Amino acid sequence: MVADLELVALRKTYPGGVSAVEDVELVVEQGEFVSLVGPSGCGKTTTLRMIAGFESITAGEILIRGQRINDLPPEKRPTSTIFQNFALFPHMTVRRNIEYGLAARGIKSAERRERSNRIMEKLDLLTIADRKEAGLSGGQRQRVALARGLVVEPRILLLDEPLGALDANLRRSVQNELKLLQRTLGITFVFVTHAQSEALILSDRIVVMNRGRIEQVSRPADLYTRPRTPFVARFIGRNTLVMGRLKDASGLIETSYGPMRGVVADSFLRAGDAAQIVLPAEALEPHRETSNEAALQAQYQGNLLSARILAVEVVAHTRLIRAALSDGREILLDGHTGHAGGEGLVAGSSLWIGLRPEEATIVAADKR
Amino acid sequence: MERQPFLRSLLGGWTGLFLIFLYSPMVVLAILSFQSGPEGGPQFPIEHWSIYWYRQLFDLVPPSRVAPLPVGAALFRSLTLAFSTMVVSTVLGTLTAQAFRRHFRGSGAVFYLVVLGMMVPGVLVGLGTALTANALSIERNWWSTVFLVHVVYTYPFAFLVMLAIFNRFDRSVEEAAWSLGVSPIQTFRRITFPLIFPGVLSAMLFAFTLSYDEFPRTLFASGGQLTLPLAIYGTFSVEIHPNVFAFGVLTTLFSFALLAVYATLMTLSSRRARRLAVQEDIA
Repeated sequence: MVADLELVALRKTYPGGVSAVEDVELVVEQGEFVSLVGPSGCGKTTTLRMIAGFESITAGEILIRGQRINDLPPEKRPTSTIFQNFALFPHMTVRRNIEYGLAARGIKSAERRERSNRIMEKLDLLTIADRKEAGLSGGQRQRVALARGLVVEPRILLLDEPLGALDANLRRSVQNELKLLQRTLGITFVFVTHAQSEALILSDRIVVMNRGRIEQVSRPADLYTRPRTPFVARFIGRNTLVMGRLKDASGLIETSYGPMRGVVADSFLRAGDAAQIVLPAEALEPHRETSNEAALQAQYQGNLLSARILAVEVVAHTRLIRAALSDGREILLDGHTGHAGGEGLVAGSSLWIGLRPEEATIVAADKR
Repeated sequence: MERQPFLRSLLGGWTGLFLIFLYSPMVVLAILSFQSGPEGGPQFPIEHWSIYWYRQLFDLVPPSRVAPLPVGAALFRSLTLAFSTMVVSTVLGTLTAQAFRRHFRGSGAVFYLVVLGMMVPGVLVGLGTALTANALSIERNWWSTVFLVHVVYTYPFAFLVMLAIFNRFDRSVEEAAWSLGVSPIQTFRRITFPLIFPGVLSAMLFAFTLSYDEFPRTLFASGGQLTLPLAIYGTFSVEIHPNVFAFGVLTTLFSFALLAVYATLMTLSSRRARRLAVQEDIA
């Protein structure tokens, strides 16, 4: 089967030599929900705008269902874009906004009306069909933008931080709607966001970008538990990274806190390489200092750190512990209050931190 | 500011002085336009109040030693000229500003070349135009050389107004239209133009009023047929009568009428949106 969207060695260099996107390779299957995430300036929006046709392509190819679309202007591409500010036509009513794309395609008014009614019903817009943008709330504008983009039946819907302008509560309900809509329509969604939690909730796959390059493409769960690069380990989740040297490619790393075990995520790492071990805040298990050290050593196969508690914060069922390792470095633990041995964990006391080797990941050292 | 009554009254007084300075010459002329005629002169005191000079403008009084103002044909020329200049400059200014939304090679040089049209002293432009026309044996006329000079003068104003409008224009609205399959030309007609229309109105107002009372460029660039400012200046060289003041009052009223049309069109284009927003607040 031909992929819905294919980016081949895609590159964007601005006049003056500033490189925005470098050698991006990506294959998206039909009906997939793919998110591009990364810090601002990482090239995610530029990539999306190249797919939409708003930015010229410096090198490489974009294929939609196997067809090269590099030279098609935006109005001839089978994509439609949802913008962060929604970009509604302020001088047109909601209905006219939605029907405008159909009119441009020469669709007769009877069919236009039928199709706009159908999408407005689905998105609960019929009651506000005759209003203009100025009379709409943020959530309504968002739905109008979605309806307008979807009614022309694009192969691929491109979303450029479309939830960024909504407040937190609205965001959550729109997220659910969006996911449901994408499932029922079966359209491919390419979604750009800087909010990783949003990407983790919505996506089938997440593309993490940094400095114009793809760092990692993974399913959300894998991205969370198995970062493959130091950048991803820092960007996704709340991890502590500890430098060391790989002693054994099967997953033994020598750190200043002693030898530790983890899963090697980077297949290029060899024994003797500088590397770092990723300690996820959620996987770290606290134990009182009075616990039996030998038993803990055995339980965690040596992944045991000694630390002193700086602060404890209990919010509902989660307990956040900020602790200092033997050399003063801070480490964050995010655990469940139901976890055994909670009563001795107070600021000022010492504790043992255990981590099961299969929950730790070893990635390369930071590039200099 | 609200809590500083001294500063407040100081600035208020300053503004009042400014307004007095701005309007007092006009008020003086307006008062003198009601001088008695035909024997009353263009100075105080008012011998007795009358609308003689207004009636004289429209040939409603018996002939006297004061010749009627030769403004009929000049007024027609100036209005035609101002209207044509307004249309051409606004179209050119809008198109140029549209071009400047993307950076192109030499855009900086082109910008200064265009803006030079309003920076170069008018007398020089007029004189240069006259000399060039003579050298090329082109007859000078209000509808040819003067029209050209007026466009060169007002086009930068229209361009700068539209540049400011496009600076605040949200490009993603156009991109949204393209991505829905609307061609760039249709997008400009149906999306961009309606949204920049208030700016286009301002550019038109600038171009019209600048052309309507342009003097130094027109003085040299025109041939025998005079525009309104030239015709009025011409009467000064003989003798000044209050009929000039009466005419000045009428043209000022005409300018106010233009402003009123402009303001009405501006509020109409924004009121509908506001009304809908208010409805939303009540709901």
